[in-house]
Amino acid sequence: MTLSPSDAEMTDADGAGEGNSLVDRAADAVGGVALEALETAKVGVSADRWTQTLRIARDDLGLGFFSWLSAIHWTNDPQVGDSLSQEVTERFELLCAVSDVTSGELVVFSTDLEATAPTVDSLIEIYPGADWHEREAREMFGITFVGHPCPENLYLPNEFAGNPLLKSFPLLSREVKPWPGDVDVEEMPAVGGGT
Amino acid sequence: MGEELEMTVAPDMVRNLAGAAVSVELETPDMTLNIGPQHPSTHGVLRLVAKVDGERAFDVQPVIGYMHRGYEKLSEVRTYPQITALINRIDWVSGYANEIPFIVAAERLMGVEPPERAQFIRLILTEMARISSHLVFQASYPLELGAATPLFFALRDRERVLDLIEMVTGGRFHPNFNRIGGVKPAVGAGPTTRKTIQDLPAGFLAETRDAMDRVLSTADQLEDLVAGNEIVLARTKGIGILPPEVAIAYGVSGPNLRASGVGFDLRNVSDYLPYHLFDFQVPVGEAGDCWDRWWVRLEEIRQSASIVRQAVDSIPSGPLQAKVPRIIKVPAGEIYVRAENPKGEMGYYVVSDGGLGPYRLKIRSASFSNISILRWALEGTLVPDIIAIMGSLDFVLGDVDR
Repeated sequence: MTLSPSDAEMTDADGAGEGNSLVDRAADAVGGVALEALETAKVGVSADRWTQTLRIARDDLGLGFFSWLSAIHWTNDPQVGDSLSQEVTERFELLCAVSDVTSGELVVFSTDLEATAPTVDSLIEIYPGADWHEREAREMFGITFVGHPCPENLYLPNEFAGNPLLKSFPLLSREVKPWPGDVDVEEMPAVGGGT
Repeated sequence: MGEELEMTVAPDMVRNLAGAAVSVELETPDMTLNIGPQHPSTHGVLRLVAKVDGERAFDVQPVIGYMHRGYEKLSEVRTYPQITALINRIDWVSGYANEIPFIVAAERLMGVEPPERAQFIRLILTEMARISSHLVFQASYPLELGAATPLFFALRDRERVLDLIEMVTGGRFHPNFNRIGGVKPAVGAGPTTRKTIQDLPAGFLAETRDAMDRVLSTADQLEDLVAGNEIVLARTKGIGILPPEVAIAYGVSGPNLRASGVGFDLRNVSDYLPYHLFDFQVPVGEAGDCWDRWWVRLEEIRQSASIVRQAVDSIPSGPLQAKVPRIIKVPAGEIYVRAENPKGEMGYYVVSDGGLGPYRLKIRSASFSNISILRWALEGTLVPDIIAIMGSLDFVLGDVDR
């Protein structure tokens, strides 16, 4: 058992640097495109290259730590929350964050899945940690992960109908009593010496 | 009486019977053992379904979801300042630490830099949350192994730390203290109106120094109590070994990962709080067994207490709040901010469309990935070791289910 000193130098682990930055290196390695995400290295690939991409990430980029996997439901017609300010094609964006526990580098890989019957290959062969995350995404968004050994609900009963994190899934408490959201913003304290 | 006890069977006959019994193989079907769902006063509500063959457990399936509150969905109908009230209920043992990555994510998207003093206060309170979380572990883990005494020492000092958190934030478990651009005006700062209360309560820094000294001496006491205890050693050394490559592939983070020999600490990697200003060490285990996980958390209490003392001694003066608009609107963009929570990597992926609340908020909590290893870790273990291994992973079900 050892105590290792903390690094005084901050590394550019979040990949926000210029030039040959983490996001460009990752995009080159997997043949994807660098996407806009503040201070976060985000790389987009096509869905048919999903497992191949993550295999390269693990084996060639050294991103062996499985951080998380989840999705975003992009739609212009949400039942809950605010509408988007611009037009989008309805789709699912699948996100998977993997990192390197030596350098601390983290890359979020992203792929678009079609809105009806979204299907993608499971990552469980590459990262066993993807197991529960994929079950969660299947339950919450209705995404099918081909090759997942246990496609069952994680949180809700298996009989539960619907996928709660879809933007088309209403939030019942809000249906009963709408929250007066924008009149409820609290006051900020005065700045400085308290005038 | 003596006559009744007289042996009526010839000794060689007994010997033959005993020999016969040994050679018989009993064919028994595997038993399915259901453990839990357990009461919330333990780790939360977790259920395990284990197949048991004699004393060994196989194919242990954790059943979660009893604490699922749907925070990711609820966040979509709340404003940014309202969300902190939800998220410090994710891991209620270290509620304060949950708020930090989310607030930092919103600040980065807005381009707001909190004042230095506010960052120091955040750092002090985060490390206090780590101490209180690890003290709960130091209390509950020996208890799960059958030793009751450490509980009293650990909880006594945890209460001291929680009192200090309450002194500043007004809440023991759910401080809801961070504001975008700074921290809330502290409670009890002085007999003035709310708007002019601008600083830490009087005596806080001195009391913190005192409390950290006590925490350090309690850490020594805990070590004396537990480390030399033969039963604890027998129950934890070499039990539940987690190889580093398995831990990494499953996304196990925090003290559990460091106990397996991987010296990865997000406080050194991510700049969400000014940790680079302080000297501290990252405890790293060697064997990755239950004992190392206990030891790493004990050592982290000492390191956190040292960080708090340094921060208290060097805290700069100045405002607690940067200038932000009265109504918080976060510009469109996406960001992932992760932090070293007491339980491991906690992060928020915030997708903003420029509105009052996020379009999507993905919460990456440490315990979810940490207990997804349970099925692997419990395969073929002895039934009593299930408790020893589960306890050593130090999870909170609110942090699993969200």
